[in-house]
Amino acid sequence: MNLFEFCYGLIHWLVDLVNNIWYRLGDWLPWWFGDFFTAVGDFASSHGHIAVMAILLEVLIIIIIALINVLNFIWLDRKYMGRMFDFYGPYYVGYRIGGWLQNLADGMKLFVKEIITPAKADRIGFFLAPVIFVGSSFLALATIPLGRQFYVGTNADPLSTGVEASALIAFAFFAIAPFSILIAGWSSNNKYTLIGGMRSAAQMMSYEIPMLLTVASVFLLAGSFGFMDIVDAQHDIWFGIPLFLGLVTFIVCLAAEVEIQPFDLPEAEAELVEGWTTEYCGMRFGLFMMTSYLRGYIGGALATALFLGGWHGPGFLPDPIWFLIKAYIVFVLIEWARWSLPRVRVDQILNIGWKRLLPMAILNLMVAVLLKTAGWF
Amino acid sequence: MAQKKKAKGSGGLIIRPMMRSGKQVVSSLFKGMPNTILYPYQILDLPPTYRGKHTLDFKRCIGCGNCVEICPNDCMWLEKLDDPELGKIERPGVDMGRCLFCGFCVEVCPTVALHHTVEFELADYRRDKLKYGPKDLRDDKFADKVKEERTKQRLPVLDMAKCTSCEKCAGACPEMVIAMMPVENVGRSKPEINLSKCTGCEKCVIACPEKALEMKDIYESYFEMPEPKFALKNCTGCGACARACPADAIYMMEMPGTEKVLKDGKKGKPKKRAVFVLEKCVGCGRCFRACKFEAIEMSGVRK
Amino acid sequence: MAEMWINMGPQHPMTHGLWNLRVKVDGETIVDAQPEVGYLHRGIEKLVEGRTYTQVIPITDRLCYGSSLTWSHLYCLTAENLMGVEVPPRAEYIRVAAIEMQRIASHLMWLAAYAADLGLMLGFIYTMRDREIFIDLLQAMSGSRLTYNYPRIGGVAHDVPPNFERDALRACSYMEKKLKEYEDLFDGSKVFMMRNVDVGLLKKEDAMNLGVTGPPLRASGVKYDLRKDMPYSIYPELNFEPATHPDGDCYARYKVRMDEMYTSCKLIRQAVQKMPKGKWRVVAPRNAPVGTGLGRVEDPRGEGVMYLVGDGSDRPYRLKIRSPIFVTVSAAPKMLIGYKLADVVAIMGGLDMCIGETDR
Repeated sequence: MNLFEFCYGLIHWLVDLVNNIWYRLGDWLPWWFGDFFTAVGDFASSHGHIAVMAILLEVLIIIIIALINVLNFIWLDRKYMGRMFDFYGPYYVGYRIGGWLQNLADGMKLFVKEIITPAKADRIGFFLAPVIFVGSSFLALATIPLGRQFYVGTNADPLSTGVEASALIAFAFFAIAPFSILIAGWSSNNKYTLIGGMRSAAQMMSYEIPMLLTVASVFLLAGSFGFMDIVDAQHDIWFGIPLFLGLVTFIVCLAAEVEIQPFDLPEAEAELVEGWTTEYCGMRFGLFMMTSYLRGYIGGALATALFLGGWHGPGFLPDPIWFLIKAYIVFVLIEWARWSLPRVRVDQILNIGWKRLLPMAILNLMVAVLLKTAGWF
Repeated sequence: MAQKKKAKGSGGLIIRPMMRSGKQVVSSLFKGMPNTILYPYQILDLPPTYRGKHTLDFKRCIGCGNCVEICPNDCMWLEKLDDPELGKIERPGVDMGRCLFCGFCVEVCPTVALHHTVEFELADYRRDKLKYGPKDLRDDKFADKVKEERTKQRLPVLDMAKCTSCEKCAGACPEMVIAMMPVENVGRSKPEINLSKCTGCEKCVIACPEKALEMKDIYESYFEMPEPKFALKNCTGCGACARACPADAIYMMEMPGTEKVLKDGKKGKPKKRAVFVLEKCVGCGRCFRACKFEAIEMSGVRK
Repeated sequence: MAEMWINMGPQHPMTHGLWNLRVKVDGETIVDAQPEVGYLHRGIEKLVEGRTYTQVIPITDRLCYGSSLTWSHLYCLTAENLMGVEVPPRAEYIRVAAIEMQRIASHLMWLAAYAADLGLMLGFIYTMRDREIFIDLLQAMSGSRLTYNYPRIGGVAHDVPPNFERDALRACSYMEKKLKEYEDLFDGSKVFMMRNVDVGLLKKEDAMNLGVTGPPLRASGVKYDLRKDMPYSIYPELNFEPATHPDGDCYARYKVRMDEMYTSCKLIRQAVQKMPKGKWRVVAPRNAPVGTGLGRVEDPRGEGVMYLVGDGSDRPYRLKIRSPIFVTVSAAPKMLIGYKLADVVAIMGGLDMCIGETDR
């Protein structure tokens, strides 16, 4: 059963439940109110409007799954980092579930902090930067399907595959983030954040190109821009195996986009305090941190969908679970490299991006062209 | 910028550090616990030489105040107490807020009455609660449990009040360590023992008919303490120094021939003068502070 | 972008201690640099003048809290030189063992801070964990973990604990094994090499002219180690070779310190195995003669000198301290100009700044 059908059925049942009481109330009320109530009830239970509410519910479900996964990622990151560093991770908060509630405690701590805006900061820019950052990341999230039947979409066309050209749209939304970082760094009226914002923008923009070239090779092999078609085309063999070079390039570009060590010089603690997020306090800073992990999750999901076969796996677990397991594996790999390597200097980051990854991406594209013309895909 | 020469030892690219951290994950998860001590739920294992909170043995302490003098930060003071067993005594207290836990007070104590325990959880909400008076530090049984590092010897200790200057101790000593020195104006001589050469054979103790010599455990002193010097012409015989000395090293002895003739022809009491038994002196300087006639000189001690 | 002065410090996560580094940047390149020290001045040389010779020892401990045994040992050497006290041989061997352990602990702490500044938290955690082994040994000897108050004028405060030889030898083998693992983590990592090779070059002539001593000097190719060239204590009887490296960059400074840790392990082994029996302390005179005393040691950071003037009483008249970092930090502009802003961390971290001894 489709996600859309599930939500539609749920909303329909709910609306019927409420309408039972609503119509009776309308009948009981005198003259004009009764008609009003009936009109509202009819309006709500019409097909189009239930469909709208169903789509909203779909989006809500995807967001909740994403946020819970983000919490899980943060917990896993801290525990894994702990064992790598030879200590326990979070231990006492949520003692019996391994310290999972530590994230909620940290989030609550961020909520109760005082929010300070610097006096000379640009108010509009300062306010809008987290909004754009978070908003664009969630938009990118909405287009990724987690299973054959699990995507945000309607049933207008029985063969529909969610949003058309969903992969292209996902990458487009993913790439809005450098703007918001630049705005955040510049509007804080601080020399350090300005430097941090500039560095971050340079890094992100120079790593977009190898990433998109790698993705282009996948588009070539799959023959379409949509996620459903790409994953369906991997039912024999995952794209990661012939395009291994592309997988490695994609993961390295992902680490640079999400600003994870070893590429996190814009947030380098040692020199720039917190980099471009220095002047943000309380939950605004929490939003940046959360979105950083959310983009990590999105990147992992993209890597899974494009290279690791999406939700294909032995049938004893439902599709979304396989998808999430593969996303977690990509995440663990990134984390492993994250804590083992020192920070790369900013001109060396740009060096790696332009001089090493770009040739690898082009090589990968040539391999894809070769495979396509040989007729194997 | 491209590397012009091959960097030394970078053959691992990123694989070697990742393998190292991977090995650590495996060993933390499967081959034993991580390297954390879950304080305060697990107890820290500290060596016995750890310098924590002080502990004071009231019976051994003589109230000399050497610890107060040597503290580099002025964190100790002497408090006058009225103990049911020991009477009117003075014992030191420590201000833990200022204490640097250096261990000098423990090292300088002549009777090894002050010790460091391993207790370090001394935080409190108020600053005045950090001042630990002598009663808070009292533990009369600690010194018997702990292994002592300072060497102690059994040495003879002189009680001048009982001595009759019979010179039997000097004759009995096989090593010729005891010398009878005359005391000015008193007409008697006092045995002076060279404690660094004494072997502890106890022959002098047996020989003394008045039981003026007694064998006691004397601890080795690591610091050279100042010695008092006596100027006889200023001494009025008031006895303030003898009362102030915590180690019983000063005795007031009568000077015969100095009795005043009173109005009705009778003779008054003779004047007294102070006599030092320097082997017992701990260098605390209280005699120097008690004497108002400048008969005692000690350099390096403040008044 | 126009040239601007950037203040790194005095409140900054990178600077270990409280000092200010002003750099003039043109875009990302450094054009000029001005270190400013003096924020941590505590007046130690004045504090010493009102206390007796023994009471000064805890104060000298707190000069450089990263390697405090070196400074109290230096003070005791100077005071023994002034008073003419002869230290028993067992005490000398105990002192050397403790100092070399302190050297390893100080270098490990340097490595921890260096790795953390470069972004490798793993290096920080591992080195601090291994430092605990030596700190625990020193705690069993002296009673405290950071400011030991262990040397005395005339020897050391207490004898070594029981089983000291076994524990010290075990610690040395453990350390040598771990040093090989650090090679995996640091030398074997391409990123670390990229950050360190050819960065912060200090030529031999510049190093000698500016008065730089210690590992930065030996990393520029000059073979000068006070333990070999002007030996004190019982170093003439121990055999070892000071470590040098021909390049003068950050990688050379890192390598010299790692090799020094190997040397220290060897020295500890020799000192612990050759330790004679006997007294570990003699009573020092209370009053110092009128005169002067001089002591020089090889601190983990360079050459430390103390000069003591006695006036016949039991309190010093004047104590003069020469700290190595105070001189080495003046070589900072030579090493920084021409490199990028992101290299400041690597270059200044390689000098192992401990501001406690700089500002006294």
